[in-house]
Amino acid sequence: MKKIYLLVFLFTCSGIYAQDVDSLMATLNGEKDFRTIATFKSPRLVLLQTNETQKAKNLAFWVGHRFGDIGGEFGGSNTLFGLDIATDLYLGFDYGITDALTVGIGRSKFNESYSGLVKYRLLWQEEESMPLSVTLFGQSSWITREPFSRNEFDKESDRISHFLQVIIARKFSPGVSVMINPGYLIRPEAQIQDFEDSDNLFSLGFGARVKILKRISIIADYTIVNGLSRPDELGIDYYNPFGVGVEIETGGHVFALNFQNSQAIIANNFIPNTTKSWTDGGVRFGFMISRNFNLGPRRTIN
Amino acid sequence: MRPLPLLILSFLIWSFSPAKAQFYQTTNAEISFFSSAPVEDIEAVSNDGVSVLNIDNGAISFKVKVRSFKFEKALMQEHFNENYMESERFTDAILKGQITGGLDPGFSNSQELIIKGDLTIHGVTQEREIPVVVQISKDGKQLRLNSKFEVACKDHKIKIPKLLWENIAEVIEVTVDANYQIIKP
Repeated sequence: MKKIYLLVFLFTCSGIYAQDVDSLMATLNGEKDFRTIATFKSPRLVLLQTNETQKAKNLAFWVGHRFGDIGGEFGGSNTLFGLDIATDLYLGFDYGITDALTVGIGRSKFNESYSGLVKYRLLWQEEESMPLSVTLFGQSSWITREPFSRNEFDKESDRISHFLQVIIARKFSPGVSVMINPGYLIRPEAQIQDFEDSDNLFSLGFGARVKILKRISIIADYTIVNGLSRPDELGIDYYNPFGVGVEIETGGHVFALNFQNSQAIIANNFIPNTTKSWTDGGVRFGFMISRNFNLGPRRTIN
Repeated sequence: MRPLPLLILSFLIWSFSPAKAQFYQTTNAEISFFSSAPVEDIEAVSNDGVSVLNIDNGAISFKVKVRSFKFEKALMQEHFNENYMESERFTDAILKGQITGGLDPGFSNSQELIIKGDLTIHGVTQEREIPVVVQISKDGKQLRLNSKFEVACKDHKIKIPKLLWENIAEVIEVTVDANYQIIKP
């Protein structure tokens, strides 16, 4: 009997310590599902677009450059490994209407083309409930150069092409993000360089970013164009666009220093027209710089 | 050993022990911080601070998700999380400690006290003494805690690149405004 009373005594004493601040804290779960931020640092990787868009009321100014072939017939010391040559130059502005919707305009040296783009974020990756981000991308391009032959462009619409892409991305860890970009290029017959080639082309892009330092990442993307809807036997040798680079972020700037085999910067130009290869010296240096401007009135917090 | 005195003793311990201690809690404490630097002033606010306070022994625990801070500029918010706080690795800012200086549960005017404890930000814990003002409502059902203190980025290994020293202050001013409710036993 005594033992039972003693047990009661010990039990009530131990109850003193049963409830404390820590155990109560554990029951208070202010857990919220946050959207994953910065899957990629920039709306562009090397050649492809990423799932990222401009922040609302933010304007980005873009400067892109592709130099000439490093090696092969057109490179080497004669052109200082391509640095004497500019195969493409891009100047553009992207503006975020909302956090999800971005519109942009740009001008490329390649084909003297003017382009307009729209990006819309359809799904955002979330920590708990959503594994992927999905962004839709559309870009139209208008070639303004003089025709190479008299009837190259019979109609004005022969100069216009459209590119549509679905960007599916996932940030696996703070340092590793991956994306898959199926796309479709719609172009008039007049823009076909090899008359066996098909007008419209499917493409399938893959891209990844790996952070090596807090502000420096290795970026790469590869786009399959050959072997999808493009015929196999063509007179012109086309290659799949492949680029690798280093991305450096400093506050409002993002610098990407890249090597790639594509001569052109926008998808409407590089998807159908990549005629250089990594294996025969056709790889070139290039860079892409963006500067962000916050145009909106200061967002009211709370 | 006679059983009766033992039972009385255990009843007394039970009734006067901290097991019946009064706890206060909040899940929407407002925490803001302010950085004043030559180029710009940066401000961010979270309304998601979670805290539990034991009024009898002064034990307090405070936690806020780093991701819950909202900034005026969305890009700043991204940089804050990605470059400075690394909030995917270090998800919470935590303060755990003891209110010292004679907290009086029955006193309804403001009491100026000190929290002695560990402040963990960016995965780095610092021992701190943080001044707080506590005010308990007359009916004892609510408790308000206010505090203003400074956090040096260096103390928590938050690195500011030399290029940006003009944009971000080395010492950040943190303001806390928490309204606690009593937890009914």
